[in-house]
Amino acid sequence: MNKLRALFHPIMVFIGVQIAWIVLMVVWINWYLENNLSIKEFAQELRPDLFTAEVEWLILFEGCFLMLLILSGVYVIFVYWNKQNRLNQMQSNFVASVSHELKSPLASIQLYLETLKYQDVSKEDSKDFIETMLSDTARLSGLIENILQSSKADPKSMELQTQKIDLGQFLSEVVNDHKRQFEEKNCEVKLQLEASPVLILDKKALQMVFNNLIGNALRYSPVGSSLKIHLHRTGRFWDIDFMDKGIGFEKKDMKKVFKKFYRVQNKDTQNIEGAGLGLFISHEIVKNHKGRLKVMSPGRGQGSVFTVSLPISRGLTV
Amino acid sequence: MVDAKKILVVEDESHLAKGLQFNLEREGYIVSLVDNGESAIELLGKQPFDLMILDIMLPKVNGIEVAKRVRNKDIRFPILMLSAKSSDEDRELGLEAGADDYLTKPFHLPELLLRVKGILRRWEWYKEPVHDQEVFHFGGMWINFVNGRAKGSSGEFYLTAKEALLMRLLVSQKDNIVRREELLEKVWGYDPQTETRTVDNFVARLRKYFEKKPQSPRYIITHREKGYEFKS
Repeated sequence: MNKLRALFHPIMVFIGVQIAWIVLMVVWINWYLENNLSIKEFAQELRPDLFTAEVEWLILFEGCFLMLLILSGVYVIFVYWNKQNRLNQMQSNFVASVSHELKSPLASIQLYLETLKYQDVSKEDSKDFIETMLSDTARLSGLIENILQSSKADPKSMELQTQKIDLGQFLSEVVNDHKRQFEEKNCEVKLQLEASPVLILDKKALQMVFNNLIGNALRYSPVGSSLKIHLHRTGRFWDIDFMDKGIGFEKKDMKKVFKKFYRVQNKDTQNIEGAGLGLFISHEIVKNHKGRLKVMSPGRGQGSVFTVSLPISRGLTV
Repeated sequence: MVDAKKILVVEDESHLAKGLQFNLEREGYIVSLVDNGESAIELLGKQPFDLMILDIMLPKVNGIEVAKRVRNKDIRFPILMLSAKSSDEDRELGLEAGADDYLTKPFHLPELLLRVKGILRRWEWYKEPVHDQEVFHFGGMWINFVNGRAKGSSGEFYLTAKEALLMRLLVSQKDNIVRREELLEKVWGYDPQTETRTVDNFVARLRKYFEKKPQSPRYIITHREKGYEFKS
């Protein structure tokens, strides 16, 4: 069945059509050469004026040109058709992943609301349920922000709402916001600040970046893992390393992970939800701050380090 | 609490898992939580459970694979699949893998609890002995209701969970007419998506397995507008 499917793959169909077309041309030329004399005799009887000694170079050139035109036309149609197919596939994957990602926190919120409605719940439990629901709404709004940002993540169209930010303090706040998630995953988090520089940044956008990186570290790490966040200076940049002990990357995936909709496809990731937007958006936001977002991983199963590099003097004004 | 049913919840979304645990425990069930397929299979090998609530998108081993592995060992163990995947294909895939029921997220709490009750009721009924032994013999053929293996008119094969349940119900009331409604309720749990024709299709399949001439059956007899009877 797989062999049959491979046979009908667009590339195979394209190659097949080209071979059929060339074979047809060869058969036709062969037939023409074999019957050349008899055709000539027959034509001479009808139209002797056709047989002037000169070769019609213009017609020959036009014929070749037309042939090339048809060939390149077919090629262009094929390339765009293939591109369209890929886009359709990406779109349906995106819709499936997003709807799946939206449904999980939604299901949790509905479950807790209905629990409050139908069960007799103590004050303490109610408080805990409300905290859980708030955490789910934060997750939902983060995902919606990602989707909205991804549609305008073109570097030229992104306007930064900058303000002075104490980076160390800001990172502590973000880590504190994720306290509940760290507890739930039994994740030990270590924040190491070698300095606390004040930079001119878009707070909301940078928060998205940090949320995405922390969220990914939690999502792709086993329960009981650890995350180290390290702020330090490297040359003309302030580097923030997010070091996790999760599933890591293979070398081939390192550059691709920042592409829109790209998701690492392997046995470890196939059952982990994700829309393939978070790293793309984070990369664009950091780039807009004239910084860099890089990833390093020793290999699959060996964790990864995402580094946000923000320039010391970014040339932005408040 | 001696008779409390044990439920294994396999869900990697910790919020949902905790919410499920809270509600199921309030209903009097004993709940164990695991967040991946591998641990679920491991725990099932160590402890007896009465029901498993299983998510599909799970780390390590996914829910479909877990259901298949469980079914290979025990065709009867009740599985309720709970997934955000809501297309008809996903539902079919889940049921084919061996789920007894399939509920999509987000779900209503009362509906979930009712379905859990329904599955456990069917499971209880299925556990009742049909015969002195778990293997039922008739006309040179036999059915093992524990592992679903059977010998039909043309050799040995495995029955699916639903086929075994249906056969089990007919055999348990042999020489009596079992109404279509009863078959639907006990085997399919009155799933609104199940049509009465489904029973007819399953009976046709069983006749192919166990009747030499399915057109003029000897064992599984149709009583028009009443139901079916297993004649010993």
